Amino acid sequence: MKYILTILLLTGCFDVSNAQQKKTVSFEKKMLKIPAGNYKPFFVTKSNKPIKVAAFKMDESAVTNTEFLLFVTANPNWRKSKVNRLFADSNYLGDWESDLAIGEKNINIYNSPVVHVSWFAAQAYCKWKNKRLPTVAEWELAGNAAPKNIKYTSLTEYILGWYKKPNLPVLPNIKTTYQNVYGLYDMHGLIWEWTFNFNSFISSGDSRGNTEDELKAFCAAGAINVVDKTDYAGFLRFSYRGSLKGNYCIANLGFRCAKTIE
Amino acid sequence: MTKYNIGILLILSLVGCMQSSNKTEKKITASGRQAVLPDKDSMPAESIFHLTDSFQTQENIPFTLSMLKGKPTVVGMIFTHCTYACPRLTADIKNIADSLKGEKEKVNFLLVSFDTKRDTPDRLNKFAEENGLNKNWILLHGSEDAVRTLSVLLNVQFEKDAEGNFSHSNLVSVLDKNGVLQYQKEGLEAEHIVTISTIHKLIQQR
Repeated sequence: MKYILTILLLTGCFDVSNAQQKKTVSFEKKMLKIPAGNYKPFFVTKSNKPIKVAAFKMDESAVTNTEFLLFVTANPNWRKSKVNRLFADSNYLGDWESDLAIGEKNINIYNSPVVHVSWFAAQAYCKWKNKRLPTVAEWELAGNAAPKNIKYTSLTEYILGWYKKPNLPVLPNIKTTYQNVYGLYDMHGLIWEWTFNFNSFISSGDSRGNTEDELKAFCAAGAINVVDKTDYAGFLRFSYRGSLKGNYCIANLGFRCAKTIE
Repeated sequence: MTKYNIGILLILSLVGCMQSSNKTEKKITASGRQAVLPDKDSMPAESIFHLTDSFQTQENIPFTLSMLKGKPTVVGMIFTHCTYACPRLTADIKNIADSLKGEKEKVNFLLVSFDTKRDTPDRLNKFAEENGLNKNWILLHGSEDAVRTLSVLLNVQFEKDAEGNFSHSNLVSVLDKNGVLQYQKEGLEAEHIVTISTIHKLIQQR
């Protein structure tokens, strides 16, 4: 059996480092099943009904610096010195010492989420893992699940509490905030995360909305409304996504991958 | 080792192979256009031709963006079931084309659909016919991944709603002969004087 597998892997055009990694199963990130659900877009148009989200799988935690190092090792185009500026701005992997070294002085962040990564880099990583980035709907559905191992009054309060705190000098490791009922770690409280369609933010929905300009700029922006005006944390996430560009590499912005259930 | 696991490995190895076979696909020409293989040394870093995903034209021919090399390109992202904005965006780009008169032939006109489900090459072909878009126009169908990536590169925002329609920003983008974004104008029935003068300048460029 092992013999057959070896042939499969070799014929599969895998390079050596990739094949080695497949053997060490313990390196593979655990994925959890998120059951199907309905997601109400934060901003909705008149015709917009809740979006049905099919069941999918999601990484239990954000991708770490160590995991990302394996990716850039196997994919030279994604090393700091080689990456195209179109796909990652000059802050790409800004904390790292060099192309293939996170750096000894950074030993505390080996197991912390990788940040300063662009959307393109996150996309490429997930593809390399035969996964994909979660959609906004998937991410929000997964992220809105209740925490199960911390005391809290409301998730919104918890998130706003985190937003209020200044950045820590060293980004904590993964699995250091809370786990939600799906088993996912750190959906809030550690980093912001890239989503596949982060650039789907359509309108501000503020008092300047519904102007002729807005109508001209957006196909279906005639009647934009906010679902839950008290969800300030959700509002901030949407504004934040709307302010991003694909090559931005920002402190506190990382990602985790998802997978469609066939 | 279950059959399931072997299946996954098989898929993984196939994916690996497809990636390398993709590279040879680029040699196919579309509508007599000479395919230009992306040459990393000659291509500016900011060129969107670095996006190597394969699309399909309205004639169902495989197409990579690098095939646009050699002429400036005017790009719009649309979907053909759109009743409000898209016909107007297409009309805007048609107006730009018309104002170029004799120089029209020196420019690519590109429409890429958000609607990866319904806008098949056939449907795009019909749309081209209905709107009188001639051979200078390339209408592309692509994978969800390829279309999203292009939208990110062009700063076009879009979102699919529950009914399968799309909210999207209306941007006309102008690329130079090497695929570098040179000018963008947002909005429908916008004033395109600068768009047109930019295109004229880019036609002159070697």
